[in-house]
Amino acid sequence: MKPRAGWLVAGLGGWGLLALPPARAVLEASLPGHMVGQIGLLVAAGWLLGRSWGPVTPGELGGWNRYGATGLVVAIFTLAFWILPLSLDTALQDPAWETAKFLAVPLLAGLPLCRSWSRLPGLARALLWAHLIPMLAVMGWIYHEAPVRLCNAYLLDQQALLAWTLWGIAAAITAFWTIRAFLGQAPLRKTIYLGERP
Amino acid sequence: MSQPDPYQPDPGIGRSERGVVLAYMATSGAVLLLMMVLGLIMRLDQGELLGMAPDWFYRVLTLHGTGMVGIAGLAGAGIMWYFLRQYVGLSLAVAWANLALFLAGVILIITGIALGGYAGAWTFLYPLPANPMGMWDTGGAASFLVGLLIIGVGFLLLHLDCARAIIARYGSLGRALGWPQLFGRNDGKAPDAAVVASTMVLIVNTLGLVSGAAIVVMSLINLYFPAFQVDPLLAKNLIYFFGHVFINATIYMAVIAVYHLLPRYTGRPWPSSNKAFLGAWTASTVMVIIVYPHHLLMDFVQPQWMLVMGQIISYTSGLPVLAVTAYGAIVNLHRAPIRWDLASALLVLSAFGWAAGIIPAMVDATIVVNQVMHNTLWVPGHFHFYLLLGTIAMALGFMAWMVRTYGGARESGLDQLSFWVYAVGGVGFVGMFLIGGREGTPRRFAEHLSGWIPYDRWASLFAALVIAATAVFVVRFFAGLRRAALTEA
Ligand code: HEM
Ligand SMILES: [Cu+2]
Repeated sequence: MKPRAGWLVAGLGGWGLLALPPARAVLEASLPGHMVGQIGLLVAAGWLLGRSWGPVTPGELGGWNRYGATGLVVAIFTLAFWILPLSLDTALQDPAWETAKFLAVPLLAGLPLCRSWSRLPGLARALLWAHLIPMLAVMGWIYHEAPVRLCNAYLLDQQALLAWTLWGIAAAITAFWTIRAFLGQAPLRKTIYLGERP
Repeated sequence: MSQPDPYQPDPGIGRSERGVVLAYMATSGAVLLLMMVLGLIMRLDQGELLGMAPDWFYRVLTLHGTGMVGIAGLAGAGIMWYFLRQYVGLSLAVAWANLALFLAGVILIITGIALGGYAGAWTFLYPLPANPMGMWDTGGAASFLVGLLIIGVGFLLLHLDCARAIIARYGSLGRALGWPQLFGRNDGKAPDAAVVASTMVLIVNTLGLVSGAAIVVMSLINLYFPAFQVDPLLAKNLIYFFGHVFINATIYMAVIAVYHLLPRYTGRPWPSSNKAFLGAWTASTVMVIIVYPHHLLMDFVQPQWMLVMGQIISYTSGLPVLAVTAYGAIVNLHRAPIRWDLASALLVLSAFGWAAGIIPAMVDATIVVNQVMHNTLWVPGHFHFYLLLGTIAMALGFMAWMVRTYGGARESGLDQLSFWVYAVGGVGFVGMFLIGGREGTPRRFAEHLSGWIPYDRWASLFAALVIAATAVFVVRFFAGLRRAALTEA
């Protein structure tokens, strides 16, 4: 199998697996599973699809994605919309929303991220990582302190669980980058800049 | 022995690089003077030589504190950038972006204070911004906080750019700190002092700014949605972690000027590729991060082990770098054919000011002393000591060196006089803070008891001397600025 076809199969396969009722049931059973797990995996599936498109080149899309800025903005807004408690809730009740989520997150977040991330200037990527840490912490705090239940489908304890999940991710990112900065970049280079080079 | 010429241009610095550094220093110098005048106004007000409405006192206090911390950071960054740029490929665009964000933040901060009435001090201690009891409006506090956030983003960019450039050249932060030489066999090839110091600063400041961003955003949300409450102890930890690290980092950036310039006056190199120097910087990297609980010694709910750590590390935190710097300076100066002029004198003063200023700081970081001295004028006493006579003296010395090297400024008859006025005025000014603290004068009070007023008045006199001298330095800097920026050299 050609590498491109491999990525395509992996992306479509992952996407399909996530759409299977048992997988949906497991992931959507909890708030962290839904917001972090399912959405995260859908982004990953979209990313794999993006890889099947071949190497990222500077001129692609007729210059509409210069420095990857357009793709990044599309991805950020898509994610910002789909992690809202209201969106998650509605997706559970309304099959049309659920379908929209399954289409939008891979195609409008994962895929554009794949085509854009490696084109962002290194410093912009660093700034995004560095901002992700406090913003995850703040988001965790919002869920932890929210005086009301934010979802119909999930109870208050799920909000606390989500808070700890987000804090855990923030801590993991911090630890990862600290260790990497001290050890140097050579060993991990390939996995990090996935899609950077053909 | 022949006299070395300390005013040789650095070949690694082109005109555009020089331009951005000069812009940093010019901004810092101008704001410094303004903020000093605000400081004098506060002292005059406390000494009842000037009648200011109390709400304005707190606004002025807020602006003075924020502005001074900001320009100390900016001046330190300018010095760091100038020397680090000679070793790694820093981005000019990022340096300019940081300055632009800084100025944008300053505008928001001034708006928040002047129009919105925000007067909750630069430490924006939660939940004060949201509970002004009618003294300021939410918009004012928000404008202030957003201004801080923007300035923070600028510095974050700058430090990330340093990280990028340093890692590109040295491979990792560990190697940039000279760990192979420190922990292994010292082959004498450790990175330059400027690289070591910049690496230390980028590590601690990135962590500090990330924490600061988190608490600022939380405070902003709390401003508009009070139902979202922050654990006050957590908030205080985050704020003081950020504040402590940021203000400390200003010295660790500015001191690079001492390492690089002092040797040019004495003609002796500053040895930095040795285990003592590298070990000191690595030790301080860790300690600057974990020492911040000394700001929370009054908070009995804080875990006790953190307070004990805060006290113990306070004794040792500044020490390693301070020791290698002071010792290095003495070794460098001892019987050297030094050329005394304005720049060299200010740089030597700065090493002294830093060293001496640490002592009252350590005294206050002792829990039993802190129970008495906390929130007295002793505290501004110690930090004005090492900021005014340490960091700012380094910055002013660097500025004098810059315009002389690139702008053709000459020695003037005023130099010596203004140097001594600055030194004596500075020591007198911080001395009055320290004595006031010993007498139990609370800090951050607009009104003082009659027994404290004499010190306030003496302090005003000394402050006026400092301002006069600083005005001479800054005016001379601006006089040489154009040529320094444009010359080809
Ligand atoms: C002529 C020089 C200066 C004068 C007259 C001056 C005066 C003052 C005064 C009167 C206060 C308030 C003390 C109180 O709590 O009652 C103060 C606070 C402060 N000053 Fe200065 N100062 C000067 C220079 C500096 C410098 C060079 C820096 C830093 C680089 C600085 C940073 C601060 C900070 C951070 C505060 C604390 C603000 C707060 O309590 O929130 N000052 N200064
Ligand atoms: Cu501190």
